[in-house]
Amino acid sequence: MNSTVLVLGVIGADAYPPGYHTACHIFSRSGLAVVDLGIMVTQAEFAAAAAQSRAAAIVVLSPTGHGELDCRGLRHTCQQAGLAQILLYVWGRLTVDPQPAELIDARFNQMGLDRTFPACAPPERLLAALAQDLGTAVTAHTITQ
Amino acid sequence: MELKNRKLEDNVFFRARAEALAQWPTGAQINLEEGIAFQKSLPVEKSLPSALTAADAEKRTLLQPRSGSVLVDRHIQLLEYLREQGGADVLSTTIDSYTRQSRFREAQSGIEESERSGKSMLNGFPAVNHGVDGCRRVTESVGAPIQVRHGSPDARLLAETALAGGFTGFEGGGISFNIPYAKGVSLEKTILDWQYVDRLVGIYEEAGVAINREPFGPLTGALVPPCISHAVSIIESLLAAEQGVRNITVGYGQCGNLIQDVAALQTLRELTREYLHRYGYRSVSVTTVLHQWMGGFPQEEARAYSVISWGSVAAALAHATRVMVKTPHEATGVPTGEAIVQGLLCTGQIISMLEDQSMPENGLQQEKEIIAAETRCIVDRCLQLGEGDIAVGAVRAFQTGVLDVPFAPSRANAGKLLPARDNDGAVRILEPGALPLSKELLDFNRDKIEQRATREKRKASFQMVIDDIYAISTGRLVGRPR
Repeated sequence: MNSTVLVLGVIGADAYPPGYHTACHIFSRSGLAVVDLGIMVTQAEFAAAAAQSRAAAIVVLSPTGHGELDCRGLRHTCQQAGLAQILLYVWGRLTVDPQPAELIDARFNQMGLDRTFPACAPPERLLAALAQDLGTAVTAHTITQ
Repeated sequence: MELKNRKLEDNVFFRARAEALAQWPTGAQINLEEGIAFQKSLPVEKSLPSALTAADAEKRTLLQPRSGSVLVDRHIQLLEYLREQGGADVLSTTIDSYTRQSRFREAQSGIEESERSGKSMLNGFPAVNHGVDGCRRVTESVGAPIQVRHGSPDARLLAETALAGGFTGFEGGGISFNIPYAKGVSLEKTILDWQYVDRLVGIYEEAGVAINREPFGPLTGALVPPCISHAVSIIESLLAAEQGVRNITVGYGQCGNLIQDVAALQTLRELTREYLHRYGYRSVSVTTVLHQWMGGFPQEEARAYSVISWGSVAAALAHATRVMVKTPHEATGVPTGEAIVQGLLCTGQIISMLEDQSMPENGLQQEKEIIAAETRCIVDRCLQLGEGDIAVGAVRAFQTGVLDVPFAPSRANAGKLLPARDNDGAVRILEPGALPLSKELLDFNRDKIEQRATREKRKASFQMVIDDIYAISTGRLVGRPR
């Protein structure tokens, strides 16, 4: 059986958020096939990697507070690449000024992203959401803490 | 241009300068002689080198927050607020992520949208877009030394703008702002571009203006063994000194074991001085900065204060010249001014309570000897690889994995080395990759991690590393299985 493919990368930013490597590892061992794009990823690179790998979802990490500027148009870029239905999550410090999570979620939903996760959300929370949204078997391994 | 650790000749520097200044229209405002004259017109209390010299003589630890607002007036207000309410001794102008990558057009959009919406759309101060005039409004208005903090692989135009704009400290280096911050930029290019920055600082120094330089010690900020960050800091100090830099602060990111942290900070200064002296740079002033924990923080503010306090204890007992202060918002978002003040007050309380105390011996000397021996193995091998030239040696060291930074995104980094904590929480080397440590030092590291594995009744593995990375954010130092 082919694994569900997940594309993961840091959009437009110059550093890994803490735990990026371990998040990749945790996603991989949950049964997902992870395409790890690393840092400084453009919207076009996310879309191209997702199209090439027939990915079911893209997880965009945005650690800088520039999420709104960086993610504008991402849904359109994906549609242009033939990815009409792809699931789009964004995870990180999404605004510079502190704002309620519901407002952030609503703004990113308007921009065409399906879910937002704060920087402090553990990878398991994304896995649970992926399992729900994709309806596939994604095993959430617990970190031994 | 061929990379060598040699002072850039004037014709090479000024040819590169024309290209650097043309990167954005504000570059046309910059005049070197006029910039030097402006720096000389600033009062001594705005000089970071002067503040560091005084603090070092008095064995005081200066408090410094990170901070950057997108618009000039708001940035000035923020810095004055941190000085007056938080007691910051040194201030930071943290640069936004677009400027760090020379994406000045996007920084300009961020400025314009911030002005329109009243919201901050950038995570720092876009110094290049504000130009020399905008920078001078900041340095003239704020009554303390200000350092520029960033993460730019190519910082030439930023440095020109900042120095002519009156900032007296400039962070970064050709390795420390490439390997943890870039993906596909060659190390040769970043070292050359940072030789330019250091030569620019050298020109200011030769004209009588002291400027502080700080290689970025914490690197990826995640379980970096002290010998790795020390080796990079020493190499960048040697590169800077060759270009005429005379005032260097070497930095270290707190790992969490108090003995290791104090030993690391003390060793860092001693070794940097030793290598600078060995290569004839005897007039360089060396001070230290401890960065409070740079990895993942707990979400709850009360627990975040504990992490901040523990870093403050390490800074105080090691007599760091400066401490970079974290905030209780670290886990959740970009911190507000109020949160930065809370971090400063928390740190200031510990620093002043402990200022008359030093670390008791209690294993300190042995830890210092280990860190010094490991660091010498790496730096000396780099010098060998470069046939005496540390710039060439650094590039070859990364190519061969002799220098290897854990969890770094750069393709120039081997990524074979894995760290893990030992039973006492000190960061050791689990997988050395091609790190050129002696057999004795490799055995020491292996034994330390094996002792932990035995206690935890499991094999030392990548799972241990994962557990360690999440440990502090979930309330512990060592990631023990539960």
